[in-house]
Amino acid sequence: MKQQSAKIGVREYVSIAVLMVGTKATEDTPANLYSQVQNAAWMIPLLSAGFFFIPLYLLIKTMSLYEGKDLFSVIKKILGKYLGFMVCLVIFIINSFAVSFDTRTYTNIIRSFYFTTTPTLIIYAILMFICAYGAKKGLQHIGSVSYLIVFYAVVSLYVALWLGTKHANINSMFPLWGPGAFVLVKEGAQKVTIFADFFLLTMVLPYLKSNKAFKKGTWFSYIYICIQISMSILIFVCMFDESLGGTAYPFHTLIRYISLGHYIPNVEIIFFIIWIMAAFIRFTAFLYINALMFGNLFKIKDFEYLIPSLATIYLMVGFIPEAPINVSLQFKPIIWSTAGPMFAGISILLWLVALIRGEFKHAKNKNIM
Amino acid sequence: MKKKIPKLLMKSLNTEPEFNEESNVEDIEIKKQDISPDIEKNLETFKKIFTVPDNADVKLREFTIQQLNRKAFLLYISTMADLQNIMAGIEGPLIDSEHPGSKIKDIVSYPIEKTSTNIGDITEFIAAGVTALFVDGDPDCYLFETTKIRGRSIEKSENEVIVKGAKEAFNEKVIDNIALIRKKIKNENLIVKTQTISKRSRNTVFLVYQKDLVNEELLQNVKERLKSFETDSTIDLSILEQYLEERPRSLFPTIVYTERPDRACAFIEEGHIILLMENSPSCLILPATFWAMFHSPEDHYLRAPYGNFIRILRFLALFVACFTSPIYLAITNFHVGMIPPDLLMAIAGTRERVPFPSIIEVLMMELAFELIREAGLRVPSPIGPTIGIVGALILGQAAVQANIISPIVIIVIALSGLSSFIIIDISMNFAIRIARFLFIFTAGFIGIYGVTALFIGGLFYLVSLKSFGTSYFAPMTPHSFSSKDLLIRHIPVKERFRPGYLKPRDMVKQRKG
Repeated sequence: MKQQSAKIGVREYVSIAVLMVGTKATEDTPANLYSQVQNAAWMIPLLSAGFFFIPLYLLIKTMSLYEGKDLFSVIKKILGKYLGFMVCLVIFIINSFAVSFDTRTYTNIIRSFYFTTTPTLIIYAILMFICAYGAKKGLQHIGSVSYLIVFYAVVSLYVALWLGTKHANINSMFPLWGPGAFVLVKEGAQKVTIFADFFLLTMVLPYLKSNKAFKKGTWFSYIYICIQISMSILIFVCMFDESLGGTAYPFHTLIRYISLGHYIPNVEIIFFIIWIMAAFIRFTAFLYINALMFGNLFKIKDFEYLIPSLATIYLMVGFIPEAPINVSLQFKPIIWSTAGPMFAGISILLWLVALIRGEFKHAKNKNIM
Repeated sequence: MKKKIPKLLMKSLNTEPEFNEESNVEDIEIKKQDISPDIEKNLETFKKIFTVPDNADVKLREFTIQQLNRKAFLLYISTMADLQNIMAGIEGPLIDSEHPGSKIKDIVSYPIEKTSTNIGDITEFIAAGVTALFVDGDPDCYLFETTKIRGRSIEKSENEVIVKGAKEAFNEKVIDNIALIRKKIKNENLIVKTQTISKRSRNTVFLVYQKDLVNEELLQNVKERLKSFETDSTIDLSILEQYLEERPRSLFPTIVYTERPDRACAFIEEGHIILLMENSPSCLILPATFWAMFHSPEDHYLRAPYGNFIRILRFLALFVACFTSPIYLAITNFHVGMIPPDLLMAIAGTRERVPFPSIIEVLMMELAFELIREAGLRVPSPIGPTIGIVGALILGQAAVQANIISPIVIIVIALSGLSSFIIIDISMNFAIRIARFLFIFTAGFIGIYGVTALFIGGLFYLVSLKSFGTSYFAPMTPHSFSSKDLLIRHIPVKERFRPGYLKPRDMVKQRKG
């Protein structure tokens, strides 16, 4: 029997988004933010969300002109064949590097905290293998699996944070404005990369049940995630204070720090299990979106077959940096500072071109008719 | 295109010899013909077909019908037919009836089922226990429904035991099975449709469903699937199950196999299709989801809090059965920091004199447990308790004293083994037990990371499973409308809808007010 690919609902979409973007609080993002703006780091996600809100809103508005089309088709339609192709290619390349270095970061976390003697390659290969397998199953199944585990992931994060508050000192969040309001705004504008994933998620729009579901899901997860990240960073700041700048992966330090009563001192494995599940989902979704982009760029219909090869390439690229420190100090900042602002720029550009070309008026007339 | 090349390659590598059927070409030719009015010729033909003097239980009785003064013979299989009825209803009146009459119908007191002329058809009927009457000069053969097959009476369900609720189970007689379903669903919309599925032994499948509920597309799908395979014989429902399944090599079942009529009825009422077969003390329910395997009928018979209590217990048991031994392995080998120091000392102390790595220890004990379990199933009941003694004393106590196994492993294995009994569905039970071994290997290889990776991979696999177009975790995900009877069930008054993934013709099972 042929299995037709069914569309995913709001629940699945929100679960993917929450697991994909929400995990950012548990990697090196908080430390990265702290090194820039010190104890006001928790405000950056809120500010960035505010900054990214406008481009995202415009993008979704532009997308709604073309019912059931994905991001790349819309870009090509608005910017023309050649310019559109170039823009799409750039997005794809940036995203590919992002996946490579992100997966490497996660491998580093696993290796340095839990499997110190296991070779990086084995950990990395398992991660990529499972993600490729999941991605090949298709978006609907990614959605289903994320829906099955999202509840546990979110609850476990809150439990960990709640246990962390016992060691926290609320005074660490002062001075409230950190290095000053101006720096905050500047950093907030640059760090919109935190929410860049939402830009990429517009790729999966045709696979959703309706545009309305997409809009609803996006805004709900957007608001939820910005609160979640900001809250986690606040707790990290309160817990670690000054030393957060030197703590590469605060979430994992936190779960090592906490205990359940006096008798069970180390509970990190419990949280690790759920965290790694979320990580698997995150990269599965990423891989799928990248394959989707690649298929769209080069007009390959059965793009699912590309996923194993793409995963292998990402593994090899991600394996280039020799040491973990290289990843977070040399390679990732490039993506950090370019991806977000650029995606925001593209979104606004698309809207502007569509506006100038009168697409909105056109659509309005069509609706009236 | 991409699938064609490997297929071609496989074909050229894997040639199958072709055999032509030669055993009974002659018989097949004969069976296509009609019977002749000449009784001697018929006698000869059927003697040849049924190998009469040699075939002990085929009875052929020649006599003369007094009233008509014509020769006749009866042919039936004595082990399949009701002899007393034949004597009193057919043979007796024919031989010495006093009523004047000229038609066979008027002479015999047994209702004539039908008449037939085709030799093949008649043979088929006789083989099913029907009595055939041939009369000299008559172009038709008279067939009497005299089938009486012996079998078990309706007994208690043995493999799906519950405390509260109906106890009766299906038996090997399909007539009884249908009667058991009819007894529970007294509705003219309940359809029992037959379909022959094999060529040689002519096994029939009975599709049972509610005409006004079942989704037409699903029904068509099932019928086509039943038609699609060409086989000489399918003697049992459990073999049919394997023919029907989309992925017969998969670890996880996609069809529910149950011996409880009450369970079958509950599914029919929701719009599922039930398959029954002669000789199978069970039925197949399709499509099936993970939840159908996971639930037990008892969940619904007990009051909501009690039912939910055992459900949560079962969910816990599912995890315990799957993950205790892998987690024990992972933690003691890779994440020792998790164990409180006192406990760690204790574990280390008991393991001190055990010469094997813990994965070997766990595997040995798991294997031993599976052996005890399988042996316990096959052991004749008088010596049944011996198994317990062997298991507990020799494998448990003695293994520890001989320093082959550490005591904590016994606890771990006992816990996971005990938990695996809680899953009521036999296929699911196997799936969990085998999956446990996979988890043990990954845990031994790379600790909790491997276990989690396999778990996520397994989840991806599970959600992609389909049973006749229904996702494995429906209606949880992909979400569809239902009465939310998944992990937790509601009180019966609240369960107002049929599961949406079936697309039944009538969604509402209980209207308000």
